[in-house]
Parts: sequence; structure tokens; C-alpha cells
Amino acid sequence: MSPAAQGSPEARPSERAKRPVTLLAGTYGHPLHPALVAVPIGAWLASFVFDVASHLAADASAFAIGARWLIGIGVLGALAAAMIGLLDLLAIPTGTRAFRFALLHLSFALTTTTLYAIGFAIRDSEPTGPVPAGPLALSVVALLGLGGTGFLGGTLAYRYGVRVADEATQAEGYQQP
Amino acid sequence: MDIAALITWLLTATGGFIMLGIWINKGGHKAGSGSRLAPGLVFGHFGLAAIGLVLWIIYLVANESVLAWIAFVLLLVVALIGFTMFARWLPVRSGSNAESRFPLAVVGLHGLLAATTLVLVLLTVLDAS
Repeated sequence: MSPAAQGSPEARPSERAKRPVTLLAGTYGHPLHPALVAVPIGAWLASFVFDVASHLAADASAFAIGARWLIGIGVLGALAAAMIGLLDLLAIPTGTRAFRFALLHLSFALTTTTLYAIGFAIRDSEPTGPVPAGPLALSVVALLGLGGTGFLGGTLAYRYGVRVADEATQAEGYQQP
Repeated sequence: MDIAALITWLLTATGGFIMLGIWINKGGHKAGSGSRLAPGLVFGHFGLAAIGLVLWIIYLVANESVLAWIAFVLLLVVALIGFTMFARWLPVRSGSNAESRFPLAVVGLHGLLAATTLVLVLLTVLDAS
């Protein structure tokens, strides 16, 4: 294990953001939040595919029911991911650019989840036809929010290295045997 | 009443996050920090309360009373851990530990809102059964 992983109290701010505040957030180099976000991203993307399919396929109501279920699954997955994500937010030193990006990422994520929760509520629980234009438009807006959330999350991980192992640890993967 | 419980639950969580943020910022989560709140207590309290909250939201949508019961039992465990931490916090509230920085108002409101949530959840569960 690298020196940074062992945790000296006077570590650089960027090193602090690499370490989990608790095992609940995943171990060093294995953050749980990016793993959990796969659930809402997958469910919500699939929900949109179902929305479109409800207009194209013969069995419209089956796809409309499935689309609503996928939105619900996505909202629950997003809530679980948010809990763990908040733990990673607490690892980032406040007042930094990374922290501001994290707050923006949080705002985008909460707005997106709220939009989908509204979408779940306004959709007919027993639809008889394809998904109407209103809920479909809301899903398009929410999908854009999801894209923004992902972009900001990507910046935090791949540009600012939040919860990414330090370079000494990364170098271990490139040693010749 | 079930929606009221959700609102007080969310408000309680906000207070909890404020304290968690302060505690971690002052290094309370690190081994040897001198904090009287063990990380297992803090994150157990946080984790169980979070799972309970998600279950409560599923209950509100699905209206399945067994979910409400599980959420209530989880809340009881959460409250027990909360009381343990409160007892351990009281003697050091004006000391120099990570948790000594908790504003009294946040601790008080968190406890009050938590108790309200517990009562509202209990009433909902009894009503649903």
C-alpha cells in the first residue's frame, strides 16, 4: 500500500480527497459511488428506450408500464448512490475548486432525481397506450440533467482525482515482472 | 402522517449531515483522533438511517406495510445508537474533540426532529396494520 493510503494527518488536500472517510464509501482505490451510479444511469437510459418503444412497438402499454418501473428503480438507485456520494463529498477539502465542482455535481444529481421522481408520479400507473408527450418531454430534460451530472462527476474523478488512487499506487500496475 | 414523517426524517438527516461534515472535517473519522464517537457508531447510525429512509420512500410509493415495519425497527436501532453518541458527546461538548464543535442548536434540533420522526413512523405503522 502506498504511503498516502496509510493516512498521514498532514496530507496534501488532493491526497485527502483520494481516501475514503469510511469503509461504507468503499476501500482505497475502490470507491462505491461510481459503482452505484450505474444503476440509475442504466435504468433511466433504458426507461427512455422503453418510452420510444411504446410509440413504435405493437404492445404500447407494456413498454409504458416498464418505462415507469425503470424510472422508479432509477430513483431508488440514485438515492442509494447519493448517500454514498455525500460521504465522498465530505472527503474533499472545502473552499477548493474540486469542492465547488462537487457541490455543482450534487445539485445536478438532486435536480435530475427530483425530475424523475415527478415523472414517476405524473405517469399513469395503469397505462393503456404509449407514453404521452408531457412525461416523455420531462424524461428528455431529466436525461440532459443526467448527462450534466455525469460530466461533472467525470471531472471530479478523472481531472481532479477524487477517490482515485495516487500515482505511486497507479505505477504498481505498470511494473514489469 | 406518512408524508410528515418523510419531511421530519429529511430535516433530521440534514442536521446529521451538518454534524458529520464538521466531525470529518476536524479529523474525527481517523484512527487516534481522540474522538469519543467511534466511526462504527457514526457510520452505523448514518447507514441504517439512510437505508430506513429509502425503505420509507418505497413504502410511500408501494404502500406495503411490512416495509414500514422494517423502517420502524431500523429507526429504533438508529435511535439507540444516537442516544449512545449523545451520552458520549455530552461530557466533551466544550472540549477540544472533533465533536466538541457541534453547535448545541443542531444537536438539539436533530434529536427533537428524530424523536418526532420516530413517533410519526410508529403512528403510521400502527395505522397501517
